[in-house]
Amino acid sequence: MTVQGVSRAFGGIQAVEACTFEVAPRLITGLIGPNGAGKTTVFNLITGFLRADGGSIRFKGEELLGLAPHEVEARGVVRTFQHLRLWGKMTVLENVLLGCRTPLGESVVSLFLRPARVREEEATARRRALEVLEFFGLAGRAHELAEDLAYPEQKLLSMARIFATDAEVFLLDEPTSGLDADSLQRIVPMVRRLVEHGKTVLLIEHNMELIAQLSDEVVFLHQGRVMARGRAEQITRDPALTEIYFGV
Amino acid sequence: MLAYIAHYLVMVGIYTILATSLNLLVGYSGIFSLAHAAIYGIGAYASALAALQLGLGFWGGLLVAAVVGAFAAALVAIPSLRVAGDYYIVASFGLQVVILTVFINWTSLTNGHAGLPGIPRPRVFGLVVDDPFKYVVLSLALAALTYLVCRRLTASAFGRTLRAVREDEIAAAATGKNVVAVKIAITTISSALGALAGSLYAHYITYINPTSFSLDESIFITSLVILGGTERLAGPLVGSLILLAVPEALKFLAIPDTVAAPMRQILYGALLIVFMFVRPEGILGRARPRRAA
Amino acid sequence: MDLALQLLATGLVVGSLYALCAIGWGLIYGTTLHFHVAHGAVFALAAYYAYVAQTWLRLPLAVAVLVAIVASAVSGLLIDLLLYQQLERRGAFRTSIFIASLGLLILLENVLAIVFTPDPMRMDIGALNTAVIIGPVFLTYLHILTVALALAGYGALMLFLKRSRWGQAIRAVSSAPEMARTVGIDLRRVHLLTYAVGSALAAPAGILVAMDVGAEPFRGTRFVLLASVGVIMGGIGSIPGAMLGGLFLGLLENLGIWKLPSEWQSAISFGVFLVFIVLRPRGFFGRTIHSAEI
Repeated sequence: MTVQGVSRAFGGIQAVEACTFEVAPRLITGLIGPNGAGKTTVFNLITGFLRADGGSIRFKGEELLGLAPHEVEARGVVRTFQHLRLWGKMTVLENVLLGCRTPLGESVVSLFLRPARVREEEATARRRALEVLEFFGLAGRAHELAEDLAYPEQKLLSMARIFATDAEVFLLDEPTSGLDADSLQRIVPMVRRLVEHGKTVLLIEHNMELIAQLSDEVVFLHQGRVMARGRAEQITRDPALTEIYFGV
Repeated sequence: MLAYIAHYLVMVGIYTILATSLNLLVGYSGIFSLAHAAIYGIGAYASALAALQLGLGFWGGLLVAAVVGAFAAALVAIPSLRVAGDYYIVASFGLQVVILTVFINWTSLTNGHAGLPGIPRPRVFGLVVDDPFKYVVLSLALAALTYLVCRRLTASAFGRTLRAVREDEIAAAATGKNVVAVKIAITTISSALGALAGSLYAHYITYINPTSFSLDESIFITSLVILGGTERLAGPLVGSLILLAVPEALKFLAIPDTVAAPMRQILYGALLIVFMFVRPEGILGRARPRRAA
Repeated sequence: MDLALQLLATGLVVGSLYALCAIGWGLIYGTTLHFHVAHGAVFALAAYYAYVAQTWLRLPLAVAVLVAIVASAVSGLLIDLLLYQQLERRGAFRTSIFIASLGLLILLENVLAIVFTPDPMRMDIGALNTAVIIGPVFLTYLHILTVALALAGYGALMLFLKRSRWGQAIRAVSSAPEMARTVGIDLRRVHLLTYAVGSALAAPAGILVAMDVGAEPFRGTRFVLLASVGVIMGGIGSIPGAMLGGLFLGLLENLGIWKLPSEWQSAISFGVFLVFIVLRPRGFFGRTIHSAEI
């Protein structure tokens, strides 16, 4: 996926400017930078929650800029949220089912005119959802309400939900924030497994060690501009960038 | 006495359809509409006019009612649901006012305040439904049909999407749901069903006029939904059974008419407030399950 | 042409009333995001407060009006304190708050209808009834006072928001509530203040209408609805927008009946509203509250 010259202003503030970087396929790219650098804004721009003022975002030959979030998802790019945004009052299984492909069940016409096909589709979706839950180690919790899960499991669920969509590119917004060392052990390997499954990951992360561990490539964002891009070891060792990051 | 109970049951059937269809919007989708009485009225007038002016039978009238009702709602829903739910509150409020104005002032079509008398009774499978008992059957049958339709909708992937949109539409959009399309779809369906109730009403009372379809009526239907409960499909039935019995109960207290009408409204208003505090899910609502110990 | 000028003048007067309701409602909505339909009840209450103050308590008109405005401000504040904030504490959805607000509107209007009957309660406005004739246009001092008060109210509100510390706190909460909380602003206090100010702005509108044609229990519903339309057209979060929106609606309604039958007044306003949100959902000056705002 290529992000090219993307910019976005809010009122007088230029949140993101001339942002250009590439997300290489089947790798983990880290998006780092101090607070307020515009990282989540970039996610919002890519996934259509915000409209960029200018630039281009291309994926597999198609332009993503200007598309609505559900259209971006249809083209294979999905994201998680820092505040998770799970459907707390629905069950774990339902949360994942919502990620599965159920076009017939969601079409009012098909609901009434092709009930058999709809039933089939739902059964297939359920099977897939349970498989996904297995993959993420949540199968035992399938019928509990999402809001009743422990925090690390909720984080896993937010990843499971988008995994079920069969998307190719995963934008993970701080997947490890708020987790203790033990819980990290559950999440970090999952991110690796995503890539092993052929997915592409772009992740926002504050933990420099984790970035160094996990990412293949890193993009450093500061005040809305791309300060540096390159292999993880280079970026995380660069003293000038560390200074900016820690705000000396 | 029996005829009286029959009348009560017919009205329960009609209001159950109204409340169930409104519940699809308010309860399931979190979209608040103040125009349901107007839609009810559109169904009534469309069906009545179809019978009186075009000679269409009952089924034809139902179809016309549903189509016109759906169309009117879509007209308002499409521009306002694209933006945010609050715009739809205002738009639906506006729709209610405008439609009532049309009923009252487009006298060449609707006869204004004088109303439309002489609406023919329905012919169903060759039988003329001309007494309250036969009408009870028709009314409850249509109510059951509405229930089944709504059940199919809510117990499906579509229903699941609705609930997700209601709880967090941003998450829904990120998970690939076309939130606006879903909202427009449900608004249209809800209105088509509400208009059906209007048709049923028109052919039952055989006379309609604008006063039955005012904002007060919208509030009443809302009260039915809130009282009975938004989470269970049977909620609207319970709400209707209870609230339709209230005016009769008030009559026993020998309250003068001028005071009775505002008192009913005070009751509905109080009901809405109290339920928001005490039991937002309504009488039949599922209480929040306790966290696993 | 004479008729057009008269309608223009009437439009300005009516628009001033809508504008007062709109800036108050818009302030409340922009700051708390509550769809406060009970604002219509405050509008109605204000009229009756003034009526009671003048007719039962025998206060001079100006004092009665002042008392009524203060009472309305308190009423609005209490609605937030006792109803909305209590619901929020219990984690209510925004829809629940709206439903409760609607319930309160219906309840209060009908209580007023029982206590005072639905007939208009007229007030004694003495000299204000004097006619003023400017060319072909016929107005009363009351009408001119209406426009003047709307402008004064607008000016006072803008000054308050720009210059006073509390006004700035309101603006902070309005544009970025989370951030306001982190810098130590007490959101609940700000909400209460917003309700008091917003209600104090609706009060003159209700009172002026009562002074003109009498206090009625059910008028508030129409006014709050038009206020919300005015706010949306003017742009949510913009007080000047709400002011303009209200004035625009008043003018539209009245100029509309120049060519169309008067019963279609409301239809015109809503028709325009619908067209407006298709073409410019943001309104004149505001930001759209897009559902997809994170």
